[in-house]
Amino acid sequence: MNMATFSKREYAREREQERKIALMKASPAKPLRRKLSTLLLFVLMTLVGLLMLVPLWWMISTSLKSMQEIMSYPPTIVPEQVHWDNYIHAWQKGHFGRYALNTLLLAGIGVFSHVLSNTFVAYGFAKIRFKGKKLLFSIMLGTMMIPSFVTLIPQYILFSKLHWINTYLPLTVPGFFGSAFQIFLVRQFFMTIPNELIEAGKVDGANHFRIWWQLMLPLSLPVIATIAIMTFQGAWNDFTGPLIYINSESLFNLQIGLQAFKSTETTQWHYLMAGSVIVLLPVVLLFFLFQKYFIEGMNISSATKG
Amino acid sequence: MPFKHLKKAFQLTAVASLVSLLAACSGGTSGGPAAAQADAAANSGSGSSVSPEGRVVLDYWTWWGSETRRPIIEKLVDDFNKSQDKIFVKHSYYPYSDIFTKELAAVSAGNPPDIMMNDINTVQQRASKNQAMNLSKYVERDKVQDRFFPELWNTVLYNGEPYALPFNTDTRMMFYNKDDFKEAGLDPDKFPDTWDELEQAAQKLDKKHGNTYTRIGYSPQFNSDWNLLQLNFDGGRNFFDESGKPVVNAPAKAEALQYILDNAKRLGQKNIDAFKADFGSQQANPFLSGRVSIWTDVTNFYTQIRDYGDGINFGVAPLPETKEGAGHWSVGGGFVIEIPYGAKHPDEAWEFLKYMTDVEAQTYWAEKNFDNVANKEASNSSELMSNPVYKASVENLAHTKLTPNPLNAPDYMNLINPQRDAIMLGQTSIQDGLNKAQADVEKLVSGK
Amino acid sequence: MAHPQHAAARRGRSLASREALQGFVFVSPWILGFLLFTAGPMLFSLYASFTNYDITSQMAWIGFKNYDTMLNHDPLFWKSLRNTLYFVVISVPLQTAAGLLLAMILNRRMPGIRLFRTVFYLPSVLSGVGVYVLWMMLLSPSAGLVNLTLSWLGIDGPAWLTDPAWTKNAIILMKLWGSGSMMLLYLASLQGVPSKLYEAAELDGAGRLRKFWHVTLPMITPVIFFEIVTGFIGGFQIFQEGYVMSYGNDPGAPMNSLLFYNLHMFLKAFKVFDMGYAMAMAWFLFLIVLLLTLINLTLSRFWVHYEGGEQ
Repeated sequence: MNMATFSKREYAREREQERKIALMKASPAKPLRRKLSTLLLFVLMTLVGLLMLVPLWWMISTSLKSMQEIMSYPPTIVPEQVHWDNYIHAWQKGHFGRYALNTLLLAGIGVFSHVLSNTFVAYGFAKIRFKGKKLLFSIMLGTMMIPSFVTLIPQYILFSKLHWINTYLPLTVPGFFGSAFQIFLVRQFFMTIPNELIEAGKVDGANHFRIWWQLMLPLSLPVIATIAIMTFQGAWNDFTGPLIYINSESLFNLQIGLQAFKSTETTQWHYLMAGSVIVLLPVVLLFFLFQKYFIEGMNISSATKG
Repeated sequence: MPFKHLKKAFQLTAVASLVSLLAACSGGTSGGPAAAQADAAANSGSGSSVSPEGRVVLDYWTWWGSETRRPIIEKLVDDFNKSQDKIFVKHSYYPYSDIFTKELAAVSAGNPPDIMMNDINTVQQRASKNQAMNLSKYVERDKVQDRFFPELWNTVLYNGEPYALPFNTDTRMMFYNKDDFKEAGLDPDKFPDTWDELEQAAQKLDKKHGNTYTRIGYSPQFNSDWNLLQLNFDGGRNFFDESGKPVVNAPAKAEALQYILDNAKRLGQKNIDAFKADFGSQQANPFLSGRVSIWTDVTNFYTQIRDYGDGINFGVAPLPETKEGAGHWSVGGGFVIEIPYGAKHPDEAWEFLKYMTDVEAQTYWAEKNFDNVANKEASNSSELMSNPVYKASVENLAHTKLTPNPLNAPDYMNLINPQRDAIMLGQTSIQDGLNKAQADVEKLVSGK
Repeated sequence: MAHPQHAAARRGRSLASREALQGFVFVSPWILGFLLFTAGPMLFSLYASFTNYDITSQMAWIGFKNYDTMLNHDPLFWKSLRNTLYFVVISVPLQTAAGLLLAMILNRRMPGIRLFRTVFYLPSVLSGVGVYVLWMMLLSPSAGLVNLTLSWLGIDGPAWLTDPAWTKNAIILMKLWGSGSMMLLYLASLQGVPSKLYEAAELDGAGRLRKFWHVTLPMITPVIFFEIVTGFIGGFQIFQEGYVMSYGNDPGAPMNSLLFYNLHMFLKAFKVFDMGYAMAMAWFLFLIVLLLTLINLTLSRFWVHYEGGEQ
C-alpha cells in the first residue's frame, strides 16, 4: 500500500463522515415545516414536470396512431386505436437492428475515448504548473468559437486525403485527442479539488500519472458520469458526422435510419415517432441509472431526510 | 467504494470498445467492389439478381429512402443492371437537404458520386461553379433534348450547354371540395375562372360558429403565397424580365399583394394564422379534414387525397386568371439527374442518365409515384391520362413556369421576403415595401 | 565544489522543468489533435476569408473585400448580428439561472427524485425537427398550449412565431425548456461541496439563504463560469431554430427576425457558395466571442472561487 492511495482514501473517508454527521445533526430540526415545504415542492415539481412531458406524450401518442388518424382534425390526444405494430414496423423497415449496433459501437468508443483523454488533458491544465499553459488553454477555448460549417469542407478534404471516408475513423479517432468543451469542463471540476492532496501524493513519491489515475479519477465520479452521459448522448444523436463521412448504408447510425421515414412528399409520422421513441429510450434509461453517481456524496439537503 | 466502480466501468468499456474496434476493422473499411457488393446485397429490399463483379460500379445518390419511393427507384436501377453486362449502378440513400452538403464536400475533395439527383432551379449555379459536368458532347451525340418539355430543358442550360437532364417536375393546381360547392349553391363542375370570382365563391364557402370559422373557403395564404400569385398576376413573369432586370415592384405584383391583403382583411389575419398554425405541423391536412374548401397544391397531393381523404368528392382546376385570356399561370419545380464534376466514369454514368429519362423508366416512375415527369411521351401515356387529375396536371404544365435562381443574385429572395412580410404585417405600404425590395435586388444584381 | 545553496536552486529548477515536462505530456494529446485535425482547417478558413473561395471553382486573393462587404454593404449582416446579440444577451443568463434553480431543487431528498431528474433532463435529450414542429404547435397564437396557459393567468398571449417582435422570445422560451443539460452540470458540481462548510455555517447560525449565498454559490462558481463562457460561445452559434421554425419556411422569416448570424453564414456558404464570405463572417464572429471570453476570463478573477487554489 502506498501513501498516495492512502491519502485519497483518507480524504474520501473524511467526506463520508462529514456527510453522516450532517445527516444526524440536521434531521431533528423543524421536521414539520421541512416536510410541508417538501410536499409543496413535490406538488409544484409534479405540475411543472407534467408540462415538460407534453412533447414526450405527443411523440408516444403519435407513434401509436394510424396515419389516417394523424391526418384527421381535430388531433386526438389519446389514440383511438392503439397500433403497437408501428414499433415493429419501424424497427424492421428502419433497419434498427444493424443501426443500433453501429450507434452503440460509436457511442461506446466515444465514451471510452472522451473520458480517458479529457480527464487526462484537463489534469494537465488544472494541476500542473508549466510555461505556456495559459496560451495553450486560450487557443483551446478559441477552437470552440469557429462555427463548424466553415471547417467542414477543409476537414472533409483532410479526411479524404487520409482515405478515412466511409470509415468510422473520422468519427472516433479525434475523440482520443480530447474535446475542448469537455476538457474545459473537467478542468473546472479539478480546480475545486484541494492541491494539498496532490502535494501529499508527490511527497509519497507518486508521479502525476499515478495521481491522475489513482487519486483524481476516483474523486471525480460526478464529472466523469457527466461527460460520459454527454458523450453518449452526443454520439447517439449525431447526425451530421455520420451523414457526411459514411457512404455505405450498412454503416449508418440510428439518426440517419430515422430520416428514411421523412420524405419530400409525405412523412410517415407514426413510424418516425415510433422510431424516435425507440432511439430516445436508451438515453433516458442510461440517465435514470447513472444518477446514482450524482446522488452519491449528496450532502446539501440530505438535511431534509425522508 | 467508488474507486472499484470506476475501475470496473473502465475495464468494461475498454473491453467493449476493443471488441468493437476489431469488429469495425474487419468489417471492411473502405469502398471497393467487394464492399459495394455486400452493401448492394444488404440494402436492396428487392434482392438484386445481378452481381457487380467485372463491371464498372457507379455510385448513384438520391434522397428517396422512404418505403414508398425506395422500391420504385431501386426497381429502375435493378432493371438497368439486368439490361446489360458492363455497368453496375449502386443506389445509396441520404436524407434530403443534407445530401447536398454531402455532395458538395465530396465534389470539393475530388471524390464525388457518379450520378446525383439534384434541384432543377439551381443547375446553372452548379454549372457555373464546376459542380456539375458539361453533358453537351453526349447530348449532341445521342440527341436526347427533344424528349423533354422545353420549359424544363431551358433550366439545365448554362451558356447554352446542358449540365443535367430533367427528371421530374410538378405544377401547382387548385383542389376543391365538390360537396362544399354544392352545399354553398355553387356549380361543382365549374371552378371560378378569375381571381375575383374565386373570392366571391370563397365567401359563400366560409362557415362560422359564433365568431370563429369552422370552415374557410379559400385563402391564398394556405399552402401558397404571394410568390405564386405575383407570377400568375404578371402573365407568367417572375421577378426578372427577359433581359434579367429585376421587376419586383411591377404593378401586377402589387395587385397580387393587394388581393392577398383584401382576403386577409375579410377573413381576419388572426383567423388565417390560427388555421395555419393548427396545420403547421404538416400532419392534419385542412383540406382532407373538411376545414378548407379550396386548396393549392402540386400534382402529387392526389395520392394523399386517395390514401387519407376518406372518399372526399373533389375536383381539380388550374389557378384562376386576373381577367379572361390573361392566362392561368402557375409555378412548378422538380429535380434533375446529373454527373457531378470530377466523377470517374462519365461515359457509363451517361448511359444510366439516358435510361432514367427514357420513356419506359419515366412512365414507370410517373405511374408509381403519381409524379409529373420530364419526358413528354411518358407524360402522355394513355394509362396515366386516364386519371383526370393527372390529365389536368399535364395540361397545366403548358402554362407552368419554373423559377431558376439567377446567377448574379441566387439569394435575391432573402431581400424580397422580409419586405413581403412587412407589407403583410401592415408595417409598410405595398408600394414602399416593393420599391425597397426592388432597390435591394437591383443593388445585389449590380454587384454592390 | 558547488555552493549548497546553488545546488538546491538547481534542484529546484530541474524539479520545475521536470514538472513542466509532465505538464506538456498531459496536454500533449490535445496539442496533437489540434495540430492534426483542427489547426489546418482553421488556418485554411482564415486564408480563404481573404479570397473569393466558392469551394469548387475559384480561390483568388481579394484582400479585405469580404470584410468590407460584410461591414459596409450587407444590411443582412448587421441584422443577423443584432438578432444573435439579442438572443445571447437574454438567453444565456436566463438558461444559466434556470439550470441552477432546477439543480438546487433536484439536489435534495424527495419521493421520486430520480424520476424528477430524468423528466427535467428529458427535453435536452429530445432532438431533431420533430421537437421544433411540436413547439410550433404549442406556440400557435390561438390554439397553442402556451397561450392557453397564459390565458388562465389572464394574459393575452402574443402571436409568437408570426410577430417579428416576438419570434426571438419564442425561441428563448423553447431553449429555456431545454435547460436540463445545464442542470446536469450543476448537479454534478453540487456534489463537490464539502458538508463541513455547511456545518461551519450552521454553527454560525446561518439560515438557508445565507448558506446558499456564502457556501453553495462560491463553491460552484467554477461551473457557473464554465456555463457562462460556453453558453456565450454556443449562443452565438444558434442556427437550426431560425432555419426550421421560420414562418412559411423562408429561412429567418418573418421579416428576417430569425435570421441569426450563423444562419446568414450558412446560407451564404451552402446556398450561394460564397464560402470566402462565410469564412470572413466566421472569423469576425471569432473576434467578437474571443473578446467576450477574454472579458469573462478577466472578470472571473473577482468572482470564481477555486477551492483547489489558483494555479
